[in-house]
Amino acid sequence: MGEKGSSESAKKPRRPIGRRQLVKAMVSVGILGTIVSFLSLLTSLLPSPQGSEQQGQADNVFRYGAEKGVWYSDKSGTEVNLADFDQVGKGAGVLWRGTYPAIVIRVDESKLQGATATNGLLAFASSCTHLCCIATWHLDRPNEDVIYCRCHDGIFDPYNIVNDAMPDGTKYQGAKVVGGPPPRAAPLIPIEIKDGKVSGTASNLAIYSYCE
Amino acid sequence: MGRFPEPPRIWPFTLIASDSPLDGRVKRIYEWLDKRFLATPLIAKAQRTINFALPSTLTRQNKSKILWLTYPYYYAGAITAFLAILQGITGLLLASNYVPSGVGDPGTSTPAYSSVQNIMTNLPLGALIRGIHQWGANLLVAALVIHAFWAFFRNPYRIGREITWVLGVLSLFLALAYSFTGYLLPWDQLGYWAATISIQIMRAIPFLGDFLAQLLLGGTGLSATTLTRVYFYHVSLLPVIALVLVGAHVVLVVLQGVSEPEEAWKTKIQKQVAPLFGPFFPQQILPVMIIALVTLGVVLLLGTFAVQVPGDPANKFLTPQFIVPEWYFLWAYGLLKWVGWVYDLVQFTPPAAVFGVDLLSAKVIGILVAGAMFLVLLLLPVIDRGREVRALWRPLKTAIGVWWIGFLATLTLYALNEILSAYLAIPINTTNAILGSIVIVLPIIAATPTYLILSHHLAKMKQ
Repeated sequence: MGEKGSSESAKKPRRPIGRRQLVKAMVSVGILGTIVSFLSLLTSLLPSPQGSEQQGQADNVFRYGAEKGVWYSDKSGTEVNLADFDQVGKGAGVLWRGTYPAIVIRVDESKLQGATATNGLLAFASSCTHLCCIATWHLDRPNEDVIYCRCHDGIFDPYNIVNDAMPDGTKYQGAKVVGGPPPRAAPLIPIEIKDGKVSGTASNLAIYSYCE
Repeated sequence: MGRFPEPPRIWPFTLIASDSPLDGRVKRIYEWLDKRFLATPLIAKAQRTINFALPSTLTRQNKSKILWLTYPYYYAGAITAFLAILQGITGLLLASNYVPSGVGDPGTSTPAYSSVQNIMTNLPLGALIRGIHQWGANLLVAALVIHAFWAFFRNPYRIGREITWVLGVLSLFLALAYSFTGYLLPWDQLGYWAATISIQIMRAIPFLGDFLAQLLLGGTGLSATTLTRVYFYHVSLLPVIALVLVGAHVVLVVLQGVSEPEEAWKTKIQKQVAPLFGPFFPQQILPVMIIALVTLGVVLLLGTFAVQVPGDPANKFLTPQFIVPEWYFLWAYGLLKWVGWVYDLVQFTPPAAVFGVDLLSAKVIGILVAGAMFLVLLLLPVIDRGREVRALWRPLKTAIGVWWIGFLATLTLYALNEILSAYLAIPINTTNAILGSIVIVLPIIAATPTYLILSHHLAKMKQ
């Protein structure tokens, strides 16, 4: 406002800026500046980079999840072994890198479309792409071979691997949505097996961070 | 008294009048205070306003007498205010024993969780205080919903009272914000996952979502930061906003007078009902106090015998079965599910991005519909300029209102689809089909006859 006043006075030299105008302009700028500087304090509400939560175990080995009343309940927190998945259809809720909930499933490779399994195993991020509830395997729907989210009945088909993209455009492969509201496929986690331990290979972690 | 004006002869000033039984000491104390505060004129003005403005419009003009007890929904507002005070008192007691920290491993007892356990088990009367707070919140929203629906159908927001209505709608929103923040505080599984879903819904708001989630909740996912921040909202920020909003709402009601039932016009009824028009104290406040005491009794009973114990500690890696938000959020929860069901029904697959954002997915449409409802409610005084107070004389508006209540009620039912499916042993897809059809059909079935009958009635009355 002060600048505007001075530029006007430059154009019209006959009407020099009055004292009253000057005081008005300065007070206005002062009030505006005060408001803006107070508003800038609101940025303290945005999460700080250091303040974000610590990462869990950064190794890639899957660890069994905390689901109760399932075959891996007593193994909760221990590393996932290839030997545990002795029959087709067996699956488990696991935790990957201490941060990402996932599901490891032994699939029938002859029915699998769009990807190849590693020693018969596939792993998917299990945070539902809809509203980030944790989807499960054979827990709520024991007779259907689907990844199922109990919050809004989202259903993913682990036998149908499709290409999809995150909102930021990152391309990925995942289990196709075959029912319910999820907007995107459940991302596939590439598997690596060393000494019988099942781990996910971290290609691009950004794909799996959609719930953070 | 000289420069001090004589206090008016209305309560509580009657206590210091020369013929009062308390004459003498009380009057001297009053005069001592009055010399220092110089507030007698102000207090007197406020007293007159409260005493004579409350039912001021038609009843006053016609010198009619209305028994307020005949119209129980007139008390919903007062009960809400009473419960809000109760929430304030119990809330203070809870806040001084609660630890707002969600730091700890997922699935283990965090300081927040164990402090709530401590309130429930060790604190003298802690469980009762928490029970009252919990049930008080539920009843408060119930009273508020009755109050809002009454206002919707009797349009007290007509010319001159628009701001009262807008403040009321904002207070309703505020009550929901209170509830959302309070539900999360025990940091148990149910609260955690209900809040997770809410945050993810918030993130889906086109263009603004992620920024809002970060600004308001300290991140795009739920974390210990969120809990501290939500606690701050619940006990510090929201009370201030509530005092301003609700204070202004009540002051406006007092200044403008209560919008009265149409029966106030009818002389027949005026003669039948007992006199209740009169000063605020004691005639008008008396029935409010009676109902407030009954409410207190109900809250005490429920708070003693039906207090909800926190579930398992929050675990971000394990979603529990049957996550339900509080009953008054169920319609929104159901709306998201139902839009998804409709999409499935018409075989519509929303495009991943419209104008670069997720705009047509079920959750965004759900958010937009809920937002539109709130906006319509907020702008109702502008949208509906009708001056007819009687719901039965306004076929279209009443029918829309009936449809709307039916829609919210059936969506609430739809939100419970998984629970109903499990208990009734009906496959989930069948349950969804039945409930989804009910959401479409039932509100229309309720609204259409309402409209037809009322317009018939109106046409007959106009002849």
